[in-house]
Amino acid sequence: MMNKKYLHLLFTLLITVAAQAQKPTLFMGATAHLGNGTKIENSAISMLNGKIEMVADASIIRIDPSAFDTIYRVHGKHLYPAFIVPNTTLGITEIDAVRASHDYNETGGMNPNVRSLIAYNTDSKIAKTVRSNGVLIAQVTPRGGTISGQSSVMHLDGWNWEDAALKTDDGIHLNWPSSYYQSGWWAEPGTTKENKHYNESIARIKGLFKKANAYEKSSSLMDLKMESMKGLFNGNKTLYIHANNANDMLDAISFTKEFDIKKMVIVGAEDALKITDDLKENNISLILNRVHRLPSKVGSPVDEPFTQAAKLQEAGILFCLSYEGEMEAMGARNLPFSAGTAVAHGLNYEKAISSITLNAAQILGISEYCGSIEKGKDATFFISSGDALDMRTNNVEKAYIKGIEVDLNNHQKELFNKYKNR
Amino acid sequence: MRLRFTILFALLSFYSLLGQETFPVNGVAQNFEPIHAFTNAHIILSPTAEIENGTLIIQGKQIIAIDSNLNIPNGAIVHDLNGDYIYPSFIDLNSDYGLPKAKKGKYNYRPQYESNKAGAYHWNEAIHPEIMASTEFVADEKTASTYLKNGFGTVLSHIQDGALRGTGCLVLLSEESEHSTIILPQASSHLSFKKGVSRQKNPSSLMGSISLIRQTFLDAEWYAAQKNQTNLSYAAVNNNQELPQIFTINDELDYSRVYKIADEFEIDFIIKGNGKEYSRIEEVAATEFPVIIPLNFPNSYDVSNPETAEWISLHKLKDWETAPFNPAILAKNEVEFCITSSGLNKESNFITNLRLAIKKGLSKQDALAALTTTPANLIAMDDKIGSLESGKLANFFIASKDIFENGDIYENWTAGEKHIITKKQEIDIRGFYTLNTDEFENKMVSIEGSQAKPKATIFALDSIALPTVLEGNNITINTKNGTFRVAAKFNNRSIKGKYQDSIGIYHTFNLQRDSLFTEDEKEFTLNIDSIIPSVWFPNKAHGFINPPKAENIIFRNATVWTNEQEGILENMDVAIKEGKIIAIGKNLDELVVFPETVKITQINATGQHLTCGIVDEHSHIAISRGVNEGSQAVSAEVRIGDVINPTDHNIYRQLSGGTVASQLLHGSANPIGGQSAMVKLRWGSSAEEMKVENADGFIKFALGENVKQSNWGNFERIRFPQTRMGVEQVFYDAFYRAKAYQKSWEKFNALSTKEKRKATPPREDLELNALVEILNSERFITCHSYIQSEINMLMHVGDSMGFTVNTFTHILEGYKLAEKMKTHGAGGSTFSDWWAYKFEVNDAIPHNATLLNNAGVLTAINSDDAEMGRRLNQEAAKAVKYGATSEEDAWKMVTLNPAKLLHIDDKMGSIKIGKDADIVLWTDNPLSVYAKVIQTYVDGKLMFDVEVDKELRERDRLERMRIIQKMSEDKTGGEKQKPQHTTEKLYHCDTEYDE
Repeated sequence: MMNKKYLHLLFTLLITVAAQAQKPTLFMGATAHLGNGTKIENSAISMLNGKIEMVADASIIRIDPSAFDTIYRVHGKHLYPAFIVPNTTLGITEIDAVRASHDYNETGGMNPNVRSLIAYNTDSKIAKTVRSNGVLIAQVTPRGGTISGQSSVMHLDGWNWEDAALKTDDGIHLNWPSSYYQSGWWAEPGTTKENKHYNESIARIKGLFKKANAYEKSSSLMDLKMESMKGLFNGNKTLYIHANNANDMLDAISFTKEFDIKKMVIVGAEDALKITDDLKENNISLILNRVHRLPSKVGSPVDEPFTQAAKLQEAGILFCLSYEGEMEAMGARNLPFSAGTAVAHGLNYEKAISSITLNAAQILGISEYCGSIEKGKDATFFISSGDALDMRTNNVEKAYIKGIEVDLNNHQKELFNKYKNR
Repeated sequence: MRLRFTILFALLSFYSLLGQETFPVNGVAQNFEPIHAFTNAHIILSPTAEIENGTLIIQGKQIIAIDSNLNIPNGAIVHDLNGDYIYPSFIDLNSDYGLPKAKKGKYNYRPQYESNKAGAYHWNEAIHPEIMASTEFVADEKTASTYLKNGFGTVLSHIQDGALRGTGCLVLLSEESEHSTIILPQASSHLSFKKGVSRQKNPSSLMGSISLIRQTFLDAEWYAAQKNQTNLSYAAVNNNQELPQIFTINDELDYSRVYKIADEFEIDFIIKGNGKEYSRIEEVAATEFPVIIPLNFPNSYDVSNPETAEWISLHKLKDWETAPFNPAILAKNEVEFCITSSGLNKESNFITNLRLAIKKGLSKQDALAALTTTPANLIAMDDKIGSLESGKLANFFIASKDIFENGDIYENWTAGEKHIITKKQEIDIRGFYTLNTDEFENKMVSIEGSQAKPKATIFALDSIALPTVLEGNNITINTKNGTFRVAAKFNNRSIKGKYQDSIGIYHTFNLQRDSLFTEDEKEFTLNIDSIIPSVWFPNKAHGFINPPKAENIIFRNATVWTNEQEGILENMDVAIKEGKIIAIGKNLDELVVFPETVKITQINATGQHLTCGIVDEHSHIAISRGVNEGSQAVSAEVRIGDVINPTDHNIYRQLSGGTVASQLLHGSANPIGGQSAMVKLRWGSSAEEMKVENADGFIKFALGENVKQSNWGNFERIRFPQTRMGVEQVFYDAFYRAKAYQKSWEKFNALSTKEKRKATPPREDLELNALVEILNSERFITCHSYIQSEINMLMHVGDSMGFTVNTFTHILEGYKLAEKMKTHGAGGSTFSDWWAYKFEVNDAIPHNATLLNNAGVLTAINSDDAEMGRRLNQEAAKAVKYGATSEEDAWKMVTLNPAKLLHIDDKMGSIKIGKDADIVLWTDNPLSVYAKVIQTYVDGKLMFDVEVDKELRERDRLERMRIIQKMSEDKTGGEKQKPQHTTEKLYHCDTEYDE
C-alpha cells in the first residue's frame, strides 16, 4: 500500500517533471490541519502549479528529496488551509469614519443587481493586515437596504479584481425584515417593539421574487434587477438571508421553499439553537454572528455567544463563523481567535478549523478549490509557527494563494520596523 | 446642620378676611353661609382617630364642630348619612393641575449653545427657579373632577419642566375663582435632573445636570454676597430656599445622587420617587428623605407566546411582582412617604391600585397618612388640611363604606363646597308589588336589582326584567323596543303613574308594595398577601440573594502569576483573609497562616493558574444616562462618580472574564471632559460602595477628531474647537483661567477674618476647582489621544503650565514619540489592535504596546468596550503575538501597569502579601485563548464562580417561570403589556448624547 502510494507519487512526479520540467515544492513535518476535521501530525504536503499535489503522513512515507524543487522543513509548525471570512465588507471600505471610503451601501432598498466585485480594492491596506493572520479569502458583501446586492468571494491578493476573484457574484444578500424593531437610535436605544410592517415588508419581497420568477421564464427585455436574480432560481447563485430571530428564520425558510430557491444560507442566526430541527430538516447551513459579542439579552448566560458554535456542531448543523459587526473589516484578522474562543467553550479544535475553512468553503460554494488541504485543490494555505487559533501563538510565516507566495508585509509591520530600529 | 424649612407666612391670616369681597357685586350681596350638619356618620378624623357614629358640622369653608355627641344648631341643613363614612380629603403633592405644559422650542439642525431666553435670567434654559406656578394657575374643572373622583381635595401644582423648575402652589379643587382656590401661592420649590423642553445643548447628560445644579447653588450663594449684577434666577434660588424642596427623580439610583447634593448644600429634600424604591430600599431609607410615590404598578405582560415572553427580562418580571408591595415595604422600613395619583396610565386606576397596595400589606392607617397628614405636614399646612378638626378647612369626602376596601365615594366637599361623585340613591323602591290599572287587576310586579339600578319585572307582560331608571322619586320603565313606556312616582310604598300603550293611549296605574326586597349582600373580606417577594442584589438576573462575604481561603498548588520579582511560580499556595492576601508559599501550613480558629476554605488549584484580577484603565460600563457632557469644550466640573450604575449587567459579565476594577471615564467629546470614577466590580453593591476607597482623582482629556467634532455631521460646526489648532488654545485658555482663579482665592484666603467679612469672596467655580487640582497634582489626567502632533502638543502645554499628563489613553501613535513620553513622565494605555475606524487611526499599529513598553513607558492595554472588557486577557496576548513582548510583561499590561497608571498599585495589580484579595483562577495560561475563568474574587468575596453561575441560570429560569405562571393567572390590572426586550446602552468614548 505504502509502496504503491510512493510509486504512484514518483510516477506522477516523473510525468510532471517531464511534462513541465518543474518540480513541486514540499512542506515537511508540519502539523497539518486539513480543514475537514482531521489533522496529520507530521505531514508532507506538496504543491505544483498552484495546486496541492500531495497530502501525506511523513511518518509513513519515504520522501525522495530530489523529486522536489524546494523543501521547507516546518517541523513543529502548523499548516492550515486558508481561513475564510464570509460576509464581510473587507475590501470595499477602508476607514469607518470616512464616507468617501465606503463602497458597501448603495442607495435604494432593492439592489440585487449591484456587485461588490467591481468595487473590491486589491490594495486595501486593511486586507494586508488580515491576510498576515491567515485569513486569505473573503466573501466581500454589500450591506444595507432589503436586498443589499451581490457578494463575490475574493482572494486577499491580486493585481486587479478579476484575478483576485475566486467566485464572482456568488450570491444575493437579503436582509430579512425583523419581526420586531429597535426604537430610538444607537446612542439612545428605546424599547424593542413589534414591527407592525413585518408582513407588509415580506409581501414586498415576495412581490419582487414573483416578478423575478416570471422574468426568468419569459422576458426578453433586459431588466438589470430581474436579470441578476435569475441565478437564484437555477441554482447558480445562493440566496443569503440575513436573519436572527427564530420566527424570522422560519419565515425565511418557508419563503425559500415557496419560491423554490435552490440554495439558501442563513446569515446571523442568533436564535439558531431554538430551531435546530427545522434547520436540519430543511438542510439549511448558517453563517454565524461574530463569536466575540455580548449575550443577546440582559439575563442571557454570559457565555451564550461563545458556546453557540459547539452546540450547533453537536446538533449537526453546518455552519461557519463570520465577523460581522462594528469594525468588521479590520477586525477580520481576529476571526481565527474567535474560533479559538469557541474551542475554549467546547468546540472540537479541528471542527473549529473547519468552521473557518471547509465549512465556509462548502457554504460559499467554493469547496472544489479551497477549504481543505486536499490533493487537487488550490494551493491556498499558510504556515504558522504556532497554533493559529490562539493569539498568543498565531504567527503566520508563509502563506500561499494558488501556489503563489503572499507578501505578509503590511503598512503596520512597516511602521513597526521603522520605529523599532529608530 | 441641615436647614429645617418653616413656612411662617402660611400661618398668617388664613381666612380672617372671609366674606370680604374685593370685587364689586353685580346685584345684591349674598353673605349668608348656612351651617351643614352631617349626622350618623362613621367619621375617620385622621389616620389614628375615628368616630363610629358622629356628627360633622361645617359653616362656610370651615369645620366648626366634629364629635360623637353634638347638638345640631338651629337652622342647620342636616345630612343624615346613615352610617356612611367621612374621610379627610386626600392631598397630592405632585401635580400640574391648572398649569400650562412647557412648550419645546422649534427644532434646529444647528446646535444651540446659548440660552434663547431674553432677560436677566440664568444662562441655561433648564434653570428657571423664577417661574411661579401661582402666576400661571387657572382652575380647570375637567381635571379637577378627576382628582375629586379619587378623593383629593387639594393638590400641590407645579410646572413639571426643567432642572430648577420654580415654585409650586397649593390649590383647592374647586370651582371658585383662583383668588380663593390658590390657598398657598408659594408652597414649594421643585427640582429634577431633567433639562425638560430646553433645546440648549447643556446639559446633555445626567452628570451634566448634577453639576449644573451644584454650580447654580454655589452661584446663588455668591450672588447674595455681591452687588454688581442682577440675576433674577439666582435671586429666586435664594428666595425659594425656605420652601419645601421637592426633587423629582428618574430612577431609584437617583436617591443617592440627590443625597450627595443634599449633603453638600445642607438641603432637606422631599423626593418624588418612581415607585421602585423597594429595589434599593436600604439606600432609600438611609437618605432619610420623605418620599412621594406613585402607584404606577406595571400591568402584567402578555406571556401567552413562550418565545416572545423570553424577551421580558427577569428584572421586569420581578418589578411587576414586587411593585404593588412598594408602599408596604416603605412603611416597613419606616420611610416617611406620601402617595401621589400621578404617573398612572389611567386616573381611574388610582383607587384600584391603592386597594391593591392594601392587599399587599400596606395598613389603612399608613395609606391614609400617606394621603393626608404626611403631605400636609411636609408642606407645613397641617393646621389647615390633612385631618378633620374644628377650625380646619371643610375638606372631606363621603363614602358608602371603607374607601380602602370597597367603598364608593358619594360626595367630595372642598372648603365647604359640595361635589357629587356618585349619586347616592336614598330611596329604595325595590320590593314585590301588586299592579292595578284600568287594563289589569292584581298582577304581580317585582322590582329587584340594586338600590341604584333597580329592575322591574311585570308578570302581566312577558316576565322580562325591564330597564328601570330612578331619578329621585321619578321612575321610568321601558321595553327595549319602546312599545311599553312608563312614567311614575314612588311615594310611600306605592308607585303611581301612567304608561302609554302601543297605540298611544295612556293608562294610569297603581303599584302597591306588599313586601320588601332583601338583598343578600356579599361580605367584603380583605385578604392580605403578606409574603413580600425577595429582592436580589441587584434585583435582576445573576443578582445575589445574599451579598457574598469575604472568605478565608487557601488556594493550593496553583501556578501563580505574581507580577512581582518572583515572576511565575509553580505549585504555590496563596492564602487570603478578610479581603487581603496574607500568605504566599509552598505547602502553607494553615495553622501558621490562620492561627486563630476561623472558617477556612481549601481550594485545590492544581493545574490552574492564579492571578490578580484584571484592571481596565478605560471603561464606560456601569454609567447612567450619558458618558459625555460635550456641550462645552471644557466640562471639568462633571463627575462620572455621580452617575455610577451598579446594576449594569456588564459588571457581572466582566467578572466572568476576570476583570475586577475599572476606571469609568467620561467620553471624548470635548478637550477637557469630566472626572473619572475608579471602581471595583462589586456586583450587588451600591454606587458609592463600588468606588475604590481613597483613590486619587482622575480626569479625562481628549484630542483629535472627537474633540473637533469631525464625525458629527455637517451641522456640528459651531462649538470651538474645530481643528487641532483650536484644541491647543482651549488648553492654554483653561489653565490660564485656572491660575488666575487660584490666585484670586489665595488672595482672599490671605485676608484676616475681619477683612474677609468686608470683601466679596471669589465665585466658586467647580470647573476651575478641578483644573486647579490638576495644577496642584491632586488630580490626574487620562488623555484620549491618537496622533503624534497632538500628543506632543499636550505635553508642551503640560510642561509649560506645570502639570504632567499621567496617562495617554488609546495613544495609538505613541510608538512614534515614546521617548518624549518617557521624558515627560506619561504612561500609555492603548488598544491592542484597533485601527482604521477613523482617519486619525491610519497609523495605529498592534505593535504599539510593545514599542511603548520597550521604550520604558508604563504601558497598559484597555477595553473602551463592554464586550472586550470581558476578555482583556486575550487582548494582552496580542502584545505577545505582534511585538514578541514576554508573557509576564504582556500580563502586566492588563493588571499591574494599569494599576500603577491609576495609582492603585498599593492595593491591586499583583499577588503580594497585603494587597487586596482580588484573585482570578484560570483553567489555563491566562494569555491563552483557551483560558477560562473558574472563579473571580473581589476583596476576598466570590463574585463569579463558573459552578455558581450554572446554578444561577437554573435559579433565574425557575424564577422566571414562577412569575410567568403567576402573571398568566393575573386578572387584575388593565391591558396586558406586549413583551419587550430590555435594551442595554453601551457607551464608547464618542457616544455623544444621552438624557
